[in-house]
Amino acid sequence: MSERKLHPAVAGAQPMYRAENDPDAPLFEGAYKQRFDDILTRYPDKRAAILPVLAMCQELRGWISSETIERVAELLDLTPAYVLSITSFYTMFRPQPVGKYLIQVCTSIGCDLCGAENVVEKLLAATGTRTGEISEDGLYTVIEVECLGACGFATVVQVNERVYESVKTETVTRLLEELR
Amino acid sequence: MAYPHSHPRETRILSEHFGEIEATTLDGWIERGGYKAVEKALGSMSREQVIEVVKESGLRGRGGAGFPTGLKWSFMPKDDTLPHYLVCNADESEPGTFKDREIMRWTPHQLLEGCIIGSYAIGASHCYIYIRGEFVDVIPVVNQAVVDAYSRGYLGRDILGSGYSLELTVHLGAGAYIAGEETGMLNSLEGRRAEPRIKPPFPAAKGAFGMPTTVNNVESLAVVPHIVTNGGDWYRQWGTEKSSGTKLFSCCGHLQKPGTYEIAMDFNLKDLLYDLCGGPPEGREFKAVIPGGSSVPILAADELDAECSYEGLEAAGSMVGSGGLIAMDDSTNMVHAVRRMVEFYAHESCGQCTQCREGTYWAAKILRRIERGGGREEDIPLLLDISANMAGKTICVLSDSAAAPIVSSIQKFQDDYMALIAKGQHAAVGT
Amino acid sequence: MADASSTQKVTIDGHEVMVPPGTTILDAAERVGVVLPRYCYHPGLSAPALCRMCLVEVEGAPKLLPSCVQQVQDDMVVHTTSADARKARRAVIEFLLVNHPLDCPICDAAGQCELQDYAFETGQLHTRVTDPKMVLGRDNVTPEIVYFGDRCILCTRCVRFMDEVAQEPVLQVVQRGHKGYIDTMTGDLFEHAFSMNIVDVCPVGALVNEDFLFKARAWDLDQAPSICPGCSQGCNISLGTKENQIRRAKPRPNMEVNSYWMCDEGRKTVVNWGSGDRLEVPMLKGDSLLPVDWQRALSALTEALRGEPGAARGVASAGASNEALYILRRLMEVAGFDGGYFAVPMAEEHVLAGFPKLALRSERVPNARGAELFGFERSDDPYAEVASHTGALFVLDDPLDGAPEGFGASAAIFVYLGTRLSPAARRADIVIPVTTFAEMEGTFTNFQGRVQRFAPALQPPGLARPLWMSGSATLERLGTGSAYRSAAETFAALAGDYEEFDGLTYESIGPGGSLIASARTQTARAG
Repeated sequence: MSERKLHPAVAGAQPMYRAENDPDAPLFEGAYKQRFDDILTRYPDKRAAILPVLAMCQELRGWISSETIERVAELLDLTPAYVLSITSFYTMFRPQPVGKYLIQVCTSIGCDLCGAENVVEKLLAATGTRTGEISEDGLYTVIEVECLGACGFATVVQVNERVYESVKTETVTRLLEELR
Repeated sequence: MAYPHSHPRETRILSEHFGEIEATTLDGWIERGGYKAVEKALGSMSREQVIEVVKESGLRGRGGAGFPTGLKWSFMPKDDTLPHYLVCNADESEPGTFKDREIMRWTPHQLLEGCIIGSYAIGASHCYIYIRGEFVDVIPVVNQAVVDAYSRGYLGRDILGSGYSLELTVHLGAGAYIAGEETGMLNSLEGRRAEPRIKPPFPAAKGAFGMPTTVNNVESLAVVPHIVTNGGDWYRQWGTEKSSGTKLFSCCGHLQKPGTYEIAMDFNLKDLLYDLCGGPPEGREFKAVIPGGSSVPILAADELDAECSYEGLEAAGSMVGSGGLIAMDDSTNMVHAVRRMVEFYAHESCGQCTQCREGTYWAAKILRRIERGGGREEDIPLLLDISANMAGKTICVLSDSAAAPIVSSIQKFQDDYMALIAKGQHAAVGT
Repeated sequence: MADASSTQKVTIDGHEVMVPPGTTILDAAERVGVVLPRYCYHPGLSAPALCRMCLVEVEGAPKLLPSCVQQVQDDMVVHTTSADARKARRAVIEFLLVNHPLDCPICDAAGQCELQDYAFETGQLHTRVTDPKMVLGRDNVTPEIVYFGDRCILCTRCVRFMDEVAQEPVLQVVQRGHKGYIDTMTGDLFEHAFSMNIVDVCPVGALVNEDFLFKARAWDLDQAPSICPGCSQGCNISLGTKENQIRRAKPRPNMEVNSYWMCDEGRKTVVNWGSGDRLEVPMLKGDSLLPVDWQRALSALTEALRGEPGAARGVASAGASNEALYILRRLMEVAGFDGGYFAVPMAEEHVLAGFPKLALRSERVPNARGAELFGFERSDDPYAEVASHTGALFVLDDPLDGAPEGFGASAAIFVYLGTRLSPAARRADIVIPVTTFAEMEGTFTNFQGRVQRFAPALQPPGLARPLWMSGSATLERLGTGSAYRSAAETFAALAGDYEEFDGLTYESIGPGGSLIASARTQTARAG
């Protein structure tokens, strides 16, 4: 993965879901070490760096393992339990691996009114999974999430770094094909 | 790509350039008159003058509470030596609300201008834009704008030779609605669980990292450059005495033309629904409308002839809130809709306060049971009592937000409840 | 308007009280005897105001206010039992029980559970919750402490204890909302010298001590105020006893010594203290060591001391009370005091970071300071100091484990005052059974020079009696004093004889303890 140098102001603000990730990728090396250092310069204390640093780890590895938690705790002078209290509070941190494409379907009121439940069903059927599972080919995990903040474009489906607006049951197949 | 829907009856100040891809770039923004307001504020106005003009404009916070923005700024200490912070609340997560997303993805520099001017007004040395992490398509746009603004000297040391320096950092949330609550956001920014804090102390006295801090919504900040450029009176030409200017209403649900519309604050709700949003889907009628995000009371179809001002919607029995309008047509079962909303709050409760943690969970269980045909008549007074016990007793208002749709739906749509309860009882007798 | 230095008038449920500015409503209420129910609030921790149990009505306020953080204002009028306040409190209980298993019959906290108490008080006999409850199960958080997730009300006292007082934030709320629970890092158990305090602060039965699990119901325990004998800190404790055995110790608050806390080792030390094979009767050596009654024992001791056995040397335990050490000294003086020695077992010190006044001290005895005040000297090997003494030899409450071969063999008279009859003690001429700290009233002098009282918690075994009783009776027989009728009287005599204790009485020592004279002046200089 080649990394261009990020401006420190945005070093901690990169999307944390990427199709290309490696659960065993080294953390805090090379460009990522640079980003870690840059993130620390943006806050008056180390604790404040925890969300961007965890996001960076997830961006690299696809999920947050116990080992990741322990590394982050050590680097930020926090206890592992504290880091766990954070990763379990914020729902975007995944406590287990997910498919290459994490498909998040908004089922909050705006999308619900426009048939989000049917979209979920269709996606689960098409990927042959139950909620949260990884499909057999390792490609997909479908989960329901609360409001993604694009209610006017229901149903909103977020796949890794992309947002698909106005998804209908009829367009689910095309969406999955596009990913392949 | 043209902006989804626009309408001649809108008053497009914030949304003028929505849909124009060039407006997202720094050059495109400058061509459209961008950064003139920053030059004016930093070059020729004192901090106090900036606060004064925002006070004159009557601008009220657009995040939901409607607190006057200029007044909020004036609470910041004047002669201290502590670092001050401006935190831009871009954690837009209230169901039905997607207006800030539009501001950021189409006019990121409009927001940056507001952040720079706001920071200058409160004497901030660092501004954090707290964007919800789920906004994966918006974040790169804002990031690019920030990098460009740094490269052109609108951010960083000695901005435009004014002697004023400002650092700005984009900070991402990671999935917590409650981080949108002002003090929850401060805890989250500090690297803690986004649990709201007890007030006092208020953020202006002890905010981020214990320092004087102001938290402003994206829309509130984005309109500030226009007010600085044109003056307070100019902004007051729209709206009412208590609700000046324009407001973005993001409209979703059962509508012909859902989307974000900018209207003067004295605009009529019915006109917004039927004229701008194109009314309900073909062959349907409106059953209920939530005008300000899922935490405000539900209006019934016969309550829609209301002014979209703070006082107008309050008189109608609801609130402006975040301006997240949710329309529901006559195909909607209100028990189902309310259950979805309450489940949202149960999922998003931080869990500190007993009433909220247990009340949202319990109420959602009862609603789900009713929806599935296991309801009992005594569930109605029970839900009302639970709601009463949840409201007004907790550190923040998430608990109240969960109670509001329960209470208003029972008041106005009790038939939906009774029908499900009766159906369930019949089914039980039949077996 | 009152200025900052003045006091403010608050009216609570019709009672007026003057309090300093900054006082919370909760504290002000306690001054007029109104104890507000609370779960998250604990006086030794920060107040997050999240359980919402202590909400009160304040005239002029639009909402009910949390009394634990709301500070009083002048002329504030508070109602703690208004209809609104009562309804809110009742509702909190009902909410807390939504997911609570109501397993009181098998819960260790039953009888000392604040959830149970207030549920009873608010009279909620029937539940309105008909939907199934969440089930979380149980798990260890330390090797000795179990967490019952279903009982937990998420008050976070334990989290704050570890964060603020232990300053090792190893316990956290994990997950959020109704899914929240308390945990360590997944699968980890933590260890901390003060970890058991999280069991004490838990207002319900969520955190329980595995050693105590199912051992006794709280209401079956008798309680006695005492002082921990585990080290020279002198933590104020309450001993819980059942069937004349110590089952557990809990800290009693004393801001000068241990705040609300005590260490784990102290708790373990006192459990079953003094139980087992005890010395229960006086004994005299004839052909062999034989039990006798008190008359004969005291006569023998009196005669032995009258017989000019030669100057007295002794070994004392620094776990003996001030009163016992004083009496020992006086008995030895009859023969001529020629030196007394005591050993101080030492081990690693553990300071409580958030309240550094408190530590598990490296001196693992409670009364070394007291022993010194009565002229005893600390020694690495007290047995060696007296082993070949030829005059009178006294041993007080030291089991003589590890005493050299032939200990006391050369003494003219060997008097053993103790609680256990070890092989070495069996060589004594006169054996007097004494009591442990838990079986009598008495005082210790802690490392600061603070004299603190403890009360009897157990019946002494058999004929064992406190040394002040048997010793002062002997002194009376010797004509060098009168027999004291109580520990207090003994202490009064002691205070008359030793300047460091001058002016102190059991009454003046009170519940918080009093400093000896030199410690008082030291404190005054430091102040």
